Amino acid sequence: MKASRSRAIQGIDQARPDDENPQRSARPASPRARLLLGVCLGLLALSATADGIEVAPPKTTDEAIDLQLAEAAADRHACLRCHAMSTLAYRNPENSDIVGLSLDREALAHSVHGELACIDCHRRSYRRYPHPDRPAPGDLDCIGCHEDEDQNLSRGWVDIDAEFKRSVHAVSDSPEAAGFSCHSCHDPHRFRPAAVGEPIAQIVRNHNEVCLSCHEKLVAPLNTSHDWLPNRDAHWASVRCVDCHTPAAVFANHDILPAEQSEKNCVSCHSSDPQLLARLYQFRSEDDIARRGLLAKAVFNEAYVVGLSKSPALDRLSLIIMGLVVLLLAAHGVGRYLARRANRRA
Amino acid sequence: MTSLYLYPAWLRLWHWINALLFLTLVASGVSMHYAGADWLMPFAAARVVHNTAGILLTVAWIGFVVANARSANARHYRVRFRTLIGDLIAQTRYYMIGIFRLEPHPFHVTEAMKFNTLQQLSYLGVMYGLMPILIISGWAFLYSVYLPETLFGLGSVWVVAMTHVVVSYLLALFLLVHMYIITTGETVFSNLRAMITGWHRENDPPRPETPASAPRETP
Repeated sequence: MKASRSRAIQGIDQARPDDENPQRSARPASPRARLLLGVCLGLLALSATADGIEVAPPKTTDEAIDLQLAEAAADRHACLRCHAMSTLAYRNPENSDIVGLSLDREALAHSVHGELACIDCHRRSYRRYPHPDRPAPGDLDCIGCHEDEDQNLSRGWVDIDAEFKRSVHAVSDSPEAAGFSCHSCHDPHRFRPAAVGEPIAQIVRNHNEVCLSCHEKLVAPLNTSHDWLPNRDAHWASVRCVDCHTPAAVFANHDILPAEQSEKNCVSCHSSDPQLLARLYQFRSEDDIARRGLLAKAVFNEAYVVGLSKSPALDRLSLIIMGLVVLLLAAHGVGRYLARRANRRA
Repeated sequence: MTSLYLYPAWLRLWHWINALLFLTLVASGVSMHYAGADWLMPFAAARVVHNTAGILLTVAWIGFVVANARSANARHYRVRFRTLIGDLIAQTRYYMIGIFRLEPHPFHVTEAMKFNTLQQLSYLGVMYGLMPILIISGWAFLYSVYLPETLFGLGSVWVVAMTHVVVSYLLALFLLVHMYIITTGETVFSNLRAMITGWHRENDPPRPETPASAPRETP
């Protein structure tokens, strides 16, 4: 940010000599011309003073931030004059693919990077037009800004990097996974963390759209990959893909699992919540009755889910009461025995 | 020695079948409830055993209710309201104090009444209160898809599951107390023997003028 501000100030500073338009003619000027020149120079000097007032260092932090934001907005505006055009694209000469270069102005504005200037990330070679056909080393340096966030994250970049390197996206041999990077999922022009209070369904949809933008075949009508999952569409509407396709132990894990290692055990989620558990049991019961019939259902009841009748507090209370009753009965028995023995001795 | 034939064959057969089913249901129920521990039955086996034993328990319970209503045994379940409070106090006092002082039992077993008041109330509560709730909640569990979505504003399955587990804990408590109380007969095993042979025996015949030597109860 500091860099962009100083660039902007430099820009204004550099513009001044052009505005002053130094004399190019060596011919001596007439007195009238000299007077005119004097007036002009005086006016220019006034205007330069006005420029000087504009570029004076901001007095408060708020003013400095306002200035930076205004400059970033101007920078974005310039870039988006082309890049907001939905048809902006080129054909990759190597594989004839059409590579889109357009951005969604709205999505960018709402994204976590929405207030940055484009050249804060797209450095060096992108300052001029035409842009080079590939970024120069040092362009798109995410860590340059994000390194300070290490201490704010529950897990640092090192952990995320290690998880990513284990993930199916990193280890897959598929040509489609070649060149997979953070940006493949976290589109910097759209990415924003879910806000508290946002509807869960919306958060889930936003998350899953990222996965389905590549795995689009999954939602094809005849695709059978998730047929094992009861109420598939209901799950997809309320559960994020990563909830089953990452190891459950770590929150926000970047180790995306291959299909065969992903969570298929319904109880992992449904046992932890009585409502979810009951829903799973009802679904399985209907299936059980349909397959086995009413009588066989009574004997086999394959629908039963471990933990369905579990309430840790109730179990604890019941076992404590039962333990106390056993102790009481044992004490009673010992009392009776002692009373009889005393009686026999007497 | 006097002998009273208080436990007819059908009653003893039902009692021991019921006891066996009870133990089976406790073992398989605990195996399902606390699934995963090594010392429990495998979950899949426990599920079939529990359901089968539950179905048999239902049949046995219906058999008991019908047979009890049609036979003379029903008389033992008629509450004597007139003396209820006094009997309850006397019986409770005996178990808490009198039994340690080797006092005579306050209740006298006769052909007309084999249960003391505490026994009678607990058996009534178990056989006509907890058992039907346990059985109905068990079946409701199996056919929960036919229940309304909610009961009393709570999810039906949850209500059914909690009812089943609470009643089963209460019945397990009953079983513990029952197994202890049967040792409080004339000797430790006299009541157990009565439920095997059908005959209630007592060494000292009761003398009406001195109820102090009355025989102890048969649970």
